[in-house]
Amino acid sequence: MIMKTRSFALGCAAVCCALAVALPIRTVAAIDDQQFKELKDLVTNLGQKIEKQDQRIEQLEKTHTQDAQVHAQDQKAHEQDQQKIQELEQKLGETQRTVSDAQQQTAMAGPVEPLPRMPLEEATVNHNFSILGDAEVQFAKTSGQHGTFLFADFAPIFLYRGGENVLFEAGVDITLQNNADQNGNRTGGASTHFDLSFAQLDYLMNDYVTLVAGAMVLPLGTYEERTAGWLNKIPDDPLPRDLLPGAGVGAQLRGAVPLGQNGKLLNYSVWGVNGPSSADGTAGAGALDLGGNVGLRSDNAVANLHGHPSGGARLGAFMPFKPHYDLELGLSGQSGEWDDAGQHLWSAGVVDASLHLGANFDVKGEYIRSWYGSDDGNIRPEGWWVQSGYKLAGLNLDWPMINNLELVNRYDSIHDGLGTRTRRYTVGYIYYLSNTLLFEGDYEFLYGNDPTKNDQVIFQLSYGF
Amino acid sequence: MKNINWKRPFKSRLRIALSLAVLSVALAPLALLTAAEGKGEKASKTEKPAEQGSVADASNKKPKVVLRKLSGAELYSMHCNRCHPERYPTERTAAQWKTILLHMRVRANLPASHARTILKYLQDNSGR
Repeated sequence: MIMKTRSFALGCAAVCCALAVALPIRTVAAIDDQQFKELKDLVTNLGQKIEKQDQRIEQLEKTHTQDAQVHAQDQKAHEQDQQKIQELEQKLGETQRTVSDAQQQTAMAGPVEPLPRMPLEEATVNHNFSILGDAEVQFAKTSGQHGTFLFADFAPIFLYRGGENVLFEAGVDITLQNNADQNGNRTGGASTHFDLSFAQLDYLMNDYVTLVAGAMVLPLGTYEERTAGWLNKIPDDPLPRDLLPGAGVGAQLRGAVPLGQNGKLLNYSVWGVNGPSSADGTAGAGALDLGGNVGLRSDNAVANLHGHPSGGARLGAFMPFKPHYDLELGLSGQSGEWDDAGQHLWSAGVVDASLHLGANFDVKGEYIRSWYGSDDGNIRPEGWWVQSGYKLAGLNLDWPMINNLELVNRYDSIHDGLGTRTRRYTVGYIYYLSNTLLFEGDYEFLYGNDPTKNDQVIFQLSYGF
Repeated sequence: MKNINWKRPFKSRLRIALSLAVLSVALAPLALLTAAEGKGEKASKTEKPAEQGSVADASNKKPKVVLRKLSGAELYSMHCNRCHPERYPTERTAAQWKTILLHMRVRANLPASHARTILKYLQDNSGR
């Protein structure tokens, strides 16, 4: 029994010794080189982080210092603003006292009618100024004369829209001409001629009536209203247009009424103007003056040259059948006194027509008849013209430049009622360099007994803007 | 200048005849175009189908025709290209078109409704 107990105790002691020897070895072997290296790296990283944190703290301290400085500046600016506000309040107070004093004085002076206020749509900033127009340069050769370059015309049109329903428009023709004396003898140099072709105020009273007043383009036929250097297909005007006044000083009502939804319409114009007059005060047949009665005489008297104004009217119908196929017809006339004594009437009637057959062909014309009494008897000038144009684009040829070419021709005839007759055949072309830049050329064959009219070739460059 | 003996009475009759002939040539297509007007109007019309109903009713009723209003581009082509080459909408600003259309409405004597429709077309496609 005692041996067993001692044996058991010795065994336990041996186990304990073994454990005591084993444990310290494991404890020493728990931190080897690799782990030491990792610890070292860890400590190094921690040191770097601490260094970075120190730098950041330093930057924050600097920023805080700068913010403090800015805040100090803002504080100063705020104080200055406060001072300015106080000054403005003082001035406002003074102004209010001044206004109050003025009101008291006004009240003492008596009641004042309030100014009428314009309707809002007219008073808004809804105005616009535009310049349109055209300019032409020519080279012309008249039979029996030297060929020449010619600045034919510069015709600006000024438009001023004052609101929704009001337009003021004016057109000027500016030309150059060699100087001459009263007898027509050359004197050297050249002069610039300004001709106010029209200046009128347009007021749209409603959808169907427009009031026009001023030096108006007269709708005797349609040529005068639709003429411009870059619109006319031939450089010069039809001969019989000389039988009519192109403009007149007066007033007019005009408008248009659509008929249905397919574009048909009727339009009308009714006007009263001073009318034609006598160039020398007599009633001789050759004294008729179509454009010289504008209401302000050469002696500065404000007066019509004869007793009564002339009246006129035009009625027109436009009938489109399909795109680019349409017919327009119009009938117009004007009548009134012309001589100073008011003994004779001058009258004119015009039938106008325009036809489009497709996008490439058009034909138009006018028949003009006038008649007037005179001390030399009744005079009956008349004339007519017809003009056509064909754009070669209608041939559908794939040739270069051909699509920009249009062939034009015109026949016009005039009899002035005093024995002078002229017929003219014109053939020509238009080359469209662009939609607004035209190069035109034509040859005019003249027949008649007017010695001032001869065969002519004209080339023209025309620009519309 | 070429001189001609105007004293022959035959000349005045010939001139009148020529004048009438030219006017007839200019106006003769009117008859043809008037006859073609029905076809032109049909091109701008859209047809509604006939309403459903009895056979007897359907045979007596004509289909309803609705007229289509012309667009701004169509009216522009119709009225403006009559007198001058086309001006592109991008050439002007919207405000400038308003002024110019006012001028053209008066000068060409256009109906107000047509002018407004044309103006809207130009302004919608204007330069800026």
